[in-house]
Amino acid sequence: MKSLIMILIIVAALCCSVAASPTVDVTKLQYPRLNDIEIPKITRHTLGNGLRLYLVEDHELPLFRMSVRINCGGFMEPADKIGLVAILGQTLRTGGTTTRTGDALDELLESIGGSVETFGGITTCGASVSVLSEHTDLGLEVLSDILQNPVFDPDKIELAKVAHRSGISRRNDQPQQIVSREFAKLIYGAESPYARHTEYATIEAISRDDLVAFHRAWFHPENVQMAIWGDFDPKKLVKQVEKLFGKWPRGSSPVPPLPKVTYKYKQQVYLVDKADLNQAQVIIGHIGGLLTDRDYADRIVMNTIMGVGFGSRMVDAVRSREGLAYSTSSAFGANVDRPGVFTSYAATKSGSTAKAIREMIKVVRSMQTDPPTVDELKTGKDSYLNSFVFQFDTRAEVVNRIMDYDFYGLPNDFLQQVKARVESVTADDIIDAAKRNLKPDSLIIMVVGNPNDFDEPLDSLGLGPVERIDIAIRQAEAHGGSR
Amino acid sequence: MKRATCFVPSVFLIGFLLAGQAVGFDFSELENSVKEHTLQNGMKFIVLERHEAPVVSFVIQANVGSVDDPKEYTGLAHMFEHMAFKGTTSIGSRDVNKELRLMAVEDSILMELRSEKRKGRLADSARIAALTEAFEAAREAAYELVEPNAYQEIVRREGAVGINAGTGPDATTYFYSLPSNKLELWMALDSDRFLDPVLREMYKERDVVAEERRMRVENSPSGKVYEELIALAFKAHPYGIRGIGHMSDIQNLTREAALAFFEKHYGPSNLVAAVVGDVKAEEVFRLADQYWNRIPYRPSPERITTVEPPQSGERRMILEDKAQPMYSAAWHIPELTHPDRPALEALVDLLGRGRTSLLYKSLVKEKKIASSVSVFSGAVGEKYPTLLMVTALPTPGHTNLECETEIFAQIEKLKAEPVSQSDLDKIKARARAGFVEGLEGNAGLARQLVTYNNLWGHWREMFRELARINAVTAEDVQRVASTYLTRQNRTVVMMETQGS
Repeated sequence: MKSLIMILIIVAALCCSVAASPTVDVTKLQYPRLNDIEIPKITRHTLGNGLRLYLVEDHELPLFRMSVRINCGGFMEPADKIGLVAILGQTLRTGGTTTRTGDALDELLESIGGSVETFGGITTCGASVSVLSEHTDLGLEVLSDILQNPVFDPDKIELAKVAHRSGISRRNDQPQQIVSREFAKLIYGAESPYARHTEYATIEAISRDDLVAFHRAWFHPENVQMAIWGDFDPKKLVKQVEKLFGKWPRGSSPVPPLPKVTYKYKQQVYLVDKADLNQAQVIIGHIGGLLTDRDYADRIVMNTIMGVGFGSRMVDAVRSREGLAYSTSSAFGANVDRPGVFTSYAATKSGSTAKAIREMIKVVRSMQTDPPTVDELKTGKDSYLNSFVFQFDTRAEVVNRIMDYDFYGLPNDFLQQVKARVESVTADDIIDAAKRNLKPDSLIIMVVGNPNDFDEPLDSLGLGPVERIDIAIRQAEAHGGSR
Repeated sequence: MKRATCFVPSVFLIGFLLAGQAVGFDFSELENSVKEHTLQNGMKFIVLERHEAPVVSFVIQANVGSVDDPKEYTGLAHMFEHMAFKGTTSIGSRDVNKELRLMAVEDSILMELRSEKRKGRLADSARIAALTEAFEAAREAAYELVEPNAYQEIVRREGAVGINAGTGPDATTYFYSLPSNKLELWMALDSDRFLDPVLREMYKERDVVAEERRMRVENSPSGKVYEELIALAFKAHPYGIRGIGHMSDIQNLTREAALAFFEKHYGPSNLVAAVVGDVKAEEVFRLADQYWNRIPYRPSPERITTVEPPQSGERRMILEDKAQPMYSAAWHIPELTHPDRPALEALVDLLGRGRTSLLYKSLVKEKKIASSVSVFSGAVGEKYPTLLMVTALPTPGHTNLECETEIFAQIEKLKAEPVSQSDLDKIKARARAGFVEGLEGNAGLARQLVTYNNLWGHWREMFRELARINAVTAEDVQRVASTYLTRQNRTVVMMETQGS
């Protein structure tokens, strides 16, 4: 048998002739100078009551857009009423105002092909407006009405609760959803506002009075910033905003600070046993960092080399070399107000779960031991530097970013400072950043999958005993059905 | 992560809701600033200059999709799309001559292995074991010379964003954006990859695609429902098979088949490119002649001829799963260019778009029996007769059948009485707003231009959508509801929770 194969190999190797390459040597291409990036001019206004505006004109298309940032969020809700702010965010808009029902708002906005939406998130609440510019006044007026005069119609509160109950009942159906939810709890703690989630009981406990009280306490102009871009006349617009929002009274107390994060590095393997899956979800990681950390720019390059896109170590090893996953990447999360999360992720068939975990840890470890090659460093830096122009190619991203920077007290040119630092990052800086920020011996490893089909039991990885995570949904006394 | 694979049903919806005539804005000016140029080899270029920011978006669409997959090779169009990122004779290898010889070895062992395996129960297991071992050795030997992901590394380094591709039933689309001074890089690199592709790493990439199938279909409740629904609705037309292919076919794809597929379907007359951004049209055309015209002309293959026979009775299936209930129903409707489609788009809009739509109002807002309900036209593809699809997620304590009863009741209402003028006006207003929004990004606009060109034969049809939608009457909507949304024409797949 072997000899037959050898003959086959030799014959095949002889038969094959190769044509001369007709291809272009792209390294020889000369590029013209890039046209200047024109950073759009942003005008700021602050109303007498503290509401802050950020305006940028764009007359290319007849559109008017806003995004509103309201400084309050789910982190402020009590632990037995998780979901309060999310439901507030939905019913602000759907529940209608003192002069228009939610259904009437639906009709009004859909009849002009526009939208005004609101949301309640963990650290901020917000709103958005998108209308043709001919409907600018209407869009503004509806926004003002929703933010200042909501009535929280009980039927729409029930509608939001039904949606939440449905979401709870389905939360274990998509494997990726289990991964992100459960991993956040392992990093921030199950009770942390950054990781905790709704249960039937917490939804049940939320009343209309809670929504009214939360809105009354925190929805005040000094907590509101509005980014506005599109086809408008700034003078007229500011006047209109003054008229609609100028009388909105200030609140009486300052928004509390975000809760601190405490994290203790440890090595631990977790398993979510899901027998109906034939592909395991593997996630490894630990706490990440802050946007304002001294080595933030170094980490961007480090993570690009480690696991962003084709050519990164993670994708080359896990996807291209071993064929273990379609989807694999790493992310070193950073926020301004709380540390992000470092994760590396892959989805692999059950039979290669342990192999994938080993490969992924190996890649993380390599960041501390194998300095980036000349090529890696070049790709890591140049992909950031050469694509920098895409941070400025729409008015929307520019004005929203400035609004965020302003909120956090970051300088306007924060991004340019990061870019300058990326330009000077060296291979040594990458190794230093990896040593400071990555803990390959203290990784949290979580697998969602069917352990009966794994290539090896997880406790044979040599990473300690495996702790099982129970994801069964806590049933409440009464849920389901509209009452 | 990278590369959307199978078709996302809503993609074509965007196209439909386009229209013109916003007050004070002249769309004909925009239409007139779109320039086109056809190379000698038959490849068409569409260019729109936009000088707001120094960036440019590129889209290449090959007029080939998963409907063109040969029998036993489902998933091949999608597999080739993956292979189009593997480089050329000059990109992706440390020693291409040696590598090509080793790839030939790899192929010949694989063919032996395949034919032995095909004997099924009569196969010689010792021979299979030996061939498998030899194959793996040959695969690793060829891989030794590969510079993995070299193509992506070049474009990323030069500042590309949004590097991706997607294979739909009708077409395969490749796209990314670059700083606009790198126009020539795209011209050189992308013409090379369709002039001189090397399908290296084929048998590693097969495993990657298998994982993609596990992710998108086998471990996703909605993925499972969709796969069953199209399979049940189509017994003849290949729209019944998901573009990712059957698992056993994916694991049997060969480089030989992928290369033959490329030769047949990737001739320049079967490709259209759109370039939108801070470039000069004449410069684009000049470079296109220089680089893309190097690809020799090949005739374009014809459309497939299989016609789905009319359905003569409802088809229905219950899919048992661990997941929560999920409802889906689909009706056969004609392809995009059919004169009934504008009225069907209006119907989809009335039934399922926004909070004032019939289904949202009744199932979600009032009865609260569903947490979400969606309606799509062109739910499979758009080149051939396709499906109109409704999906709903029952709320806890409610069932698929309750949702179904209400969905059918709302459809019967549409058949019984003409829609109001204000509802028709709403559809037209939304179409206008949707059109303007669709013009915002370079990348999205470039994709619309090639997609219209592919489906209608000309990108100008993008600017005719409003006229088509505006011509729809209440009677048209009523008529298409009665014609297409019938019991015999319907296929239903429900996911039910095991043991409940």
